[in-house]
Amino acid sequence: MTIDYHAILPVLILSSTIVIVLVTDLFLPPRHKSASMWVALVGVLATLVAVLSLIGKGDRPDSFGGSYQVDAFTIVFQTFFMSAAAVVLLISYRYFREGGFYQGEYYFLLLTSFLGCLLMPASRDLLMLFLSLELVSAPGFLMAAFRKSDVKGNEGGLKFFLIGVLSTAVMLYGMSLIYGLTGHLQLAAVSDGLQQLSGAKETLANAAILFVVVGFAFKVSAVPFQFWAPDTYEGSPVPVAAFLGVASAAAGFAGLLQLMFVAFVHEYTFWVPLFVALSLVTMTLGNLVALQQRQVVRLLAYSGIAQTGYILLPFALVSADPSINHSAFQAAVTYILIYGIMNLGAFAVTTAISGQRPLLRIEDFAGLAKTAPLLATAMTVFMVSLAGVPPTGGFWAKLLIFQAGIQRGGVGVLLAVAMVINSVISVGYYFLIPRAMIFEDAEDQRPFRSPILVTAVVAVAMTALLIIFVVPNAIYRLGEVTSLGFGG
Amino acid sequence: MHSVTYYGSYGVVLAVVLAGALLVIVAFGAARLIAPRRPNVGGKRTTYECGIDPVGEGWSQSQVRYYVYGFLFVIFDVESVFLFPWARVFQTLGYQAVVSMAIFIGILAVGLLYAWRKGVLTWV
Repeated sequence: MTIDYHAILPVLILSSTIVIVLVTDLFLPPRHKSASMWVALVGVLATLVAVLSLIGKGDRPDSFGGSYQVDAFTIVFQTFFMSAAAVVLLISYRYFREGGFYQGEYYFLLLTSFLGCLLMPASRDLLMLFLSLELVSAPGFLMAAFRKSDVKGNEGGLKFFLIGVLSTAVMLYGMSLIYGLTGHLQLAAVSDGLQQLSGAKETLANAAILFVVVGFAFKVSAVPFQFWAPDTYEGSPVPVAAFLGVASAAAGFAGLLQLMFVAFVHEYTFWVPLFVALSLVTMTLGNLVALQQRQVVRLLAYSGIAQTGYILLPFALVSADPSINHSAFQAAVTYILIYGIMNLGAFAVTTAISGQRPLLRIEDFAGLAKTAPLLATAMTVFMVSLAGVPPTGGFWAKLLIFQAGIQRGGVGVLLAVAMVINSVISVGYYFLIPRAMIFEDAEDQRPFRSPILVTAVVAVAMTALLIIFVVPNAIYRLGEVTSLGFGG
Repeated sequence: MHSVTYYGSYGVVLAVVLAGALLVIVAFGAARLIAPRRPNVGGKRTTYECGIDPVGEGWSQSQVRYYVYGFLFVIFDVESVFLFPWARVFQTLGYQAVVSMAIFIGILAVGLLYAWRKGVLTWV
């Protein structure tokens, strides 16, 4: 078995960092436990450099018998995940130092989850996909319950754990059926194997695909498998909610993209209607329930569900035409990347607020425009972007999906129109927070201390969104190069 | 005996079950009918009828220290699960197998280090 050590270098660096973080924490005096964050951050940045060093070196499909492959898709997503890791680390620093948490263990678990994220886009067989997804989820269960003394924290963690285990079981059952039917684990081979099935075996294969889709639908919190998300997000520490809402969901999508666009692509007549329904129901229900929310983390959770609906939309556009598949794929990738930036930003601002106003109601944002103008401006940009209104990156993200829908025609047009209607509805709740920040006065007149690290992260995210609006090609290009070797 | 059919042999089982049930019913029923009942005479209701009188409640909390067992079990169990098959074949696999196993044991050793620093190894 050949191993391409340059290709797996990012994984090796991050794995070593995980061990180093754990060992360092053991020998740090209690007052300086927060230093683990800096160790973790250095490791993450080193991993990022290692990922970037793979750019332009061609595809590297050979490690571990083709299970771990590096191509443009891998590099784009790994860069995204490592940037997200750096952001989550930075916004965790003050929250966990002041909250009296086990800090070393937290950074250890967080990096382990991100190791799963790092493996996910490179995984090219069912077994690796499953292992990476579990590596993302398992530390997530613990982190979600990190507020040990809080009843909501325990409830959220337990729900996440039970749902996570259930979805894993369902997905694994589907994967085992697919392996049994085709005799292959590699995604490309599975795709060929599924094409040759007929009769009862084809029906069974469809059932297996259904199981896998349901398993992933739990992971990305699509309606009707979404009910754990708001409780879990609300109960978790805010930076962990940011991790779950962005990195964990994106990892789920990175896996789902590979399965649907590579392994199961020829069975699209069976699963496209599923995705049409999932996408429509998810975006509509997410938005309507979000309208009722008055707690910001819950609001972001439901907004995340609605956004999941938008990301599922390109899956519903898959057809026999490779060029349409390519646009759909590109739209999905681009949306995930931009969504990651704006959602991380929104959670970062929420983390900054949570220090002084732990209840995190919408009223708690009141008057922020005066006390913390940078945070307020940035939050406004993130909310405008999540609603998909120019002049922000979120506009292009939605436009790309819309275009793909129109290009597909038929049901694609219907979905595109549904998305536009939903975006209009979403303005109703996204703009509540900017309104409170700008037009209302705070009950609490104490001066607001903006944490420096979080503010820096927020400023970077805001700038990125505005730059993406001005030069959309920067991020479109990323979507274009990640073709996963079909039709592009 | 040879004439017993397949289902007929279940008759034997049924007979044994009936005989067993009957034995219990007869024994307990006879005891109930014949034996005298004076529960309040001579400490019959205490936990031990003879010996030292018990102190306190029958139910008490005890610390199982599940975490310690769980932690150490995972470390050493996982280790042995992989070490035994490895030891059987590592000569044919060459140096790569030795290096892989060294890394694996190294990672488990970090677990043991963690247990030691967290005070899991000292019994309170």
